[in-house]
Amino acid sequence: MTTIHNISRRKLFQGAAAIAGASLLSGCVSSGSATGGTSATASLTLQSSLSDPDPKAALEALVKSYTKTPVTLNTVAIESFRAQLPTYLNSSAPPDALTWYAGSVARDYASKGYLLDLSDLWASSGSLAKFSPALKSLSTAADGKQIFVPTSYYWWGVFYRKSMFKKWGVEVPTTWDEFLAVCKKISGQNVAPLTMGTGSTAWVASGWFDYLDLRVNGAAFHRDLLAGKKQFDSPEVKNVMAEYNKLLPYVDPKGRSYSWQDAATPLMQGKAGMYLIGAFITSVAPADVLDDIDFFRVPIIDAKLPVAEEAPTDGYFASAKTANPAATKEFLSYLASATSQQTYIQTSKSSNLPTSPDVDTTKFTPLVQKGVEMLNKTDEITQFFNRDSSDALQTTADTALTKFLDKPADVNAILGDWQKAAAKVFASA
Amino acid sequence: MSITKVAAQPNTVGGAPPKRRRITRKIPVLVWIFLAVPAAIEAAWVFWPAVNSFVLSTEKWNGAGAPLSIGFKNYSDLFSDDIFRQALRNNVIWAIGFGLFSVAGGLGLAVALNRTRRGVGLYRSAIYLPMVFSLAVTGLFWRLLYQPDGAVNTTLDGLGLGSWATQWLANPDTAIYAVLVAAVWRQVGYVMVLYLAGLKGCDPTLDDAGAVDGASPWQRFWRITMPQLRGVNMVVFAVTVIDSLRTFDIVWTMTGGGPYHSSELLSTYMFQQAFTSLNLGYASAIAVVIFVIAIGFILTYLVRTSRQED
Repeated sequence: MTTIHNISRRKLFQGAAAIAGASLLSGCVSSGSATGGTSATASLTLQSSLSDPDPKAALEALVKSYTKTPVTLNTVAIESFRAQLPTYLNSSAPPDALTWYAGSVARDYASKGYLLDLSDLWASSGSLAKFSPALKSLSTAADGKQIFVPTSYYWWGVFYRKSMFKKWGVEVPTTWDEFLAVCKKISGQNVAPLTMGTGSTAWVASGWFDYLDLRVNGAAFHRDLLAGKKQFDSPEVKNVMAEYNKLLPYVDPKGRSYSWQDAATPLMQGKAGMYLIGAFITSVAPADVLDDIDFFRVPIIDAKLPVAEEAPTDGYFASAKTANPAATKEFLSYLASATSQQTYIQTSKSSNLPTSPDVDTTKFTPLVQKGVEMLNKTDEITQFFNRDSSDALQTTADTALTKFLDKPADVNAILGDWQKAAAKVFASA
Repeated sequence: MSITKVAAQPNTVGGAPPKRRRITRKIPVLVWIFLAVPAAIEAAWVFWPAVNSFVLSTEKWNGAGAPLSIGFKNYSDLFSDDIFRQALRNNVIWAIGFGLFSVAGGLGLAVALNRTRRGVGLYRSAIYLPMVFSLAVTGLFWRLLYQPDGAVNTTLDGLGLGSWATQWLANPDTAIYAVLVAAVWRQVGYVMVLYLAGLKGCDPTLDDAGAVDGASPWQRFWRITMPQLRGVNMVVFAVTVIDSLRTFDIVWTMTGGGPYHSSELLSTYMFQQAFTSLNLGYASAIAVVIFVIAIGFILTYLVRTSRQED
């Protein structure tokens, strides 16, 4: 009884703190965690940003069937989740586990000491021991400790319709010149070769930027650029934009009004040829077109560079302040287990790939198996522009790249402005 | 208890103290309590966060760790920030366009529909209907109309004005105006209802007398009807200014401030800085600027109304 009283008094104080909160934000979060976290020793809280119906239902089912510790699942829309994430981790009673991405943001939090050290899960006796070394290094913070549990990832590629390629008489290109030739041939048939929804989802334009940077300058340069160690107005980036410029005549101009989903429609209808996008495109494909969809890797430009692909990785991290680290780690191991991953991927109807090598992928669609194969043959893995840098840097990319799509002749001025905006972001971090 | 005390007071006071003092003494303690509770809530939930927002605007903070005090650097940064200046310019365009077109449109419609004819109620409801939808829904609806193959461009094509067709929301020259049209479309019905109510309160005999004396309809409207609408004008002015300053959702859903910040308003830029880039100090500085502009309008408004009442 007394413990319950103590806890409720603590919650009461948190409520009072919320009222007198130092800011609107912290006010929201303190009250949020006050409702979320019940008795710290008896149960766990999982803060989730998976608010789309299918992934949400899939995670709910997983949490429900976990019996060792009662877990409260709080689902928050991704925009507010992103904004409040630092405050979640910083609050006095943070959620124990949280969904998020691997990459620079997680590492940044780890360097501030907000994240629970999960190294024992990755140790040779731990539950994640068999995960690939690439995933392990992705989950490792600057101090060498692992702070992340990856549970799924997806690949990017140039998606197209097999039957349409046949109709237009084009083959899947393997070199950059062949790719441009395919674009030219498709555009000769009054079809837009490339669709790209950069209207309300301007980040789509970063897909080509990332890939061209990976193909022209390589993954090492790309990571340095996104970490602020290289300049956006450097000759290397100008080379990237020169290649990007070759694509512009082939990009459907209507895409500037579209979201990424809207831009998939012309591809599905055979009115556009190809779309560089993540595997999540299958979620908007009509059932009768789904089997006709295939993809190829972005053609190599400089064969001397190690092949790099974007494979954004999703998963979980835990708060350093959790009252019950042992139970939290056990819960994370459960979420990352082969059966959980398999159930999650199937019930969430996604084209995500499992991170656990023990998941039986033979039942997955041929498309997903092809994705697995491509990533297995890849030398370097990057995440995506915002995941390798920050959402703040992503807004500078959105501005620069959408402007470039409209005014490619101003490229030097655009890159200069981009560098200035990026420098501001790095200075305020 | 307090009530008996109060009831006894007038007898003990006696004499002729200033009227005002007697009124304050008469207020029972219970009333003070009733006033104190909402005042405390208001202070805790509105004034305290607002004061904090001022403090935060002099700090650098990304939501995690301790904020770093940097004095007025956020403000000096603001004025060298091209995006901020663009947003400020757009806010001026927005305030003028939104105010002018929604008031002129609403007044025109109110005058046109202030007659008893068959079906006039249907027109009034139809024009008021957009107000029923939330701004976010309005934004989504207009985004469909503005699509490259949407109704707006198809109609222009049909009228032989195909060369005018553009990607309204993706073209930096048209984006802010395209959103403005959608916002005015929604606001016009509201202003119309306010003016209709005002017109109902006008004395028709004055208008008739003017007509008998040979005043033209134009003269009658400006010299007889408009002066009677002065009270409504003030309400409409206040509503329009406040609505135009707090505009956020419709821009956010239609363009998100884009393409490349060309339709950015102070509110959308503040949101983006605060919740995408997590520059909470910088965003607070923008919020303070919005506050200063709003308070400027409200003070002028209050001064004007109090002068008119005197």
